[in-house]
Amino acid sequence: MKYLMLHTLDESAHPDITEIATPPHLEAELDAWIKEMLARGIVLDGARLRPVADATSVRVVDGEAVVTDGPFAETKEQIAGYDVIDCPDLDSAVAVAAAHPTTQIGSIEVRAFDDGMPDPEVPEHPADGKLRYLMLVCADMRRSVAERGGAEAVADAEPEDDGEDDIDRWIADAGARRLYGWPLGSPDRAVTVRRVDGRTVTTDGPFAETKEQVAGYDLLECDDLDDALEVASGHPVAGGGVIELRPLWR
Amino acid sequence: MSSSVDAVALSFERSWGRLVAGLIAWCGDWDLAEECAQEAFAAAVTAWERDGVPAAPVAWLTTVARNRARDRMRRRTNEAAKVALAHADASDEVAPVDDEDIPDERLRLIFTCCHPALPMPARVALTLRTLCGLTPAEIARAFLVTEPAMEKRLVRARAKIAHAGIPYRVPPPELWGERVEGVLAVLYLMFNEGYAASSGDSLLRVDVSREAIRLTRSLVELLPGEPEVRALLALMLLTDARRPARVRDGHVVPLEEQDRSLWDLDRITEGARLLDADPPWGPYAVQARIALCHDVATRPEDTDWPAIAELYTLLPATPVVELNRAVAVSQVLGPKAALELVLPLADDLSGYYLHAATLADLYARLGRTSEAADALATAIEQAPTGAERRLLRARRESLLHG
Repeated sequence: MKYLMLHTLDESAHPDITEIATPPHLEAELDAWIKEMLARGIVLDGARLRPVADATSVRVVDGEAVVTDGPFAETKEQIAGYDVIDCPDLDSAVAVAAAHPTTQIGSIEVRAFDDGMPDPEVPEHPADGKLRYLMLVCADMRRSVAERGGAEAVADAEPEDDGEDDIDRWIADAGARRLYGWPLGSPDRAVTVRRVDGRTVTTDGPFAETKEQVAGYDLLECDDLDDALEVASGHPVAGGGVIELRPLWR
Repeated sequence: MSSSVDAVALSFERSWGRLVAGLIAWCGDWDLAEECAQEAFAAAVTAWERDGVPAAPVAWLTTVARNRARDRMRRRTNEAAKVALAHADASDEVAPVDDEDIPDERLRLIFTCCHPALPMPARVALTLRTLCGLTPAEIARAFLVTEPAMEKRLVRARAKIAHAGIPYRVPPPELWGERVEGVLAVLYLMFNEGYAASSGDSLLRVDVSREAIRLTRSLVELLPGEPEVRALLALMLLTDARRPARVRDGHVVPLEEQDRSLWDLDRITEGARLLDADPPWGPYAVQARIALCHDVATRPEDTDWPAIAELYTLLPATPVVELNRAVAVSQVLGPKAALELVLPLADDLSGYYLHAATLADLYARLGRTSEAADALATAIEQAPTGAERRLLRARRESLLHG
């Protein structure tokens, strides 16, 4: 099964994090984690994100794209990076996350992808002159769950049938600007992992209680922010939810 | 002061934005462009004194700034500098001789500074820095923040432009309307900040509204096909025309008590000329027409209030617009009719001092003195500047004891 690890931390508590990709005292440990997980075929893709000050959000209101500065939710901890991992079950995914150094300075939200996700194939470097953006698709998933008849009904339901065509059309429009992407399972099934006094602590649910939750993500490779905004604002969820664009650390 | 120093000062005012915009287009590095533009002007002070003012000052400044930039890029060894140098050399076969050889890139610069992905305060600061040439210290004073805080705001904004990939370009047709609107919103905010600050306590502050007018004037030339740009300039001029009468002895003077002989007739004439005679009018054009109604009234009682009340109906009906419409209605139909419009706005405008102040005025005119006094007390609490508080306090005093 494939899982998404969302690294989150409080940037204000780690001011150096906005200047450098990895705190020096964790660098060796991070390298070791990446090396091991790549060798074991567990980590399939991953990247650090630029600080939240470089985030841009877009939602579509009355048919018009409304672009705003900043992330989709003002939370104390913010998403700082991601990894896509392939693990037999949730327990092993949590163990892989717990071994990652982010758990020492922040936390990692582990989220299962919906079934059927192909292995992402991402070239190591972006094409000449292109920029990569993580596109977080955020929606009030609990509300849409309630509207469709409770959590039970949705736990094994297909994604909204009427949304399928829209998504296909969006993927076609995005073309080569979209490297890959996949919807995530319910945030209620998220597990958040952190280390406290050397012990691994796992808690139920996403890293922050926000109105909207991360419902899926896509990795984009675009000419510039306007190009990425055009792709993002065309996403069907931009209508009722919000899309956050985060440039990757180069 | 020698004439060459004057010439440098004049060039700075006229050409700073154009120079910086051209340099950014040339090397892609905002910091470097600004630094070297600054140095080029510094070099001009001695060189122009010695050799006389060159026939093509922008070309002269550009050549000097580019040479400095090239030197620095060569001394730097990192990847970014190499990219910038390659970028620069590729577009730099011929040194500019005439000012006309330097394309005017200010439009690209202003659309980038006003990009919606930047926080609003950063858009304003960046525009004042890169297009108007204000120093971070001057901008910090204008917005009452510390200089390090303003420096940080500018650094963050430039970092976001670089890292988030905000393009340095004039937007394509599909984004044109909203982005032009965004630029105008930044300019109007800048003007209003400057205008509101021009009430005492601010002798040392740079005149931000003057910069806003100057930049909007340039934008009228750069975007001749946009009636709302002209309308915004008109609105600024027609508002600014009343500035000489707006403050007396550190007190804000309300419109109806202003000495109208102090109003700037040239600005009124110019503003009126910029306006299209026929609708459809955009929001800035409507607001400019309202300002014009006030400006052309020789005495307060000559004001064409029915026209003003009518014009307000052409604006999107936000609570603030409704409040202003109610003021006009009170002049046409009396305070009772206006009160019916103002009271329902209480929830939406609960923290806005002009709501309480308007309410107070209507109550007073209806002889409901104690309610008027209560509303004025609220307004005093909510007023944003000392000058406004003083005015409201005086009004309350005269209501209770006058």
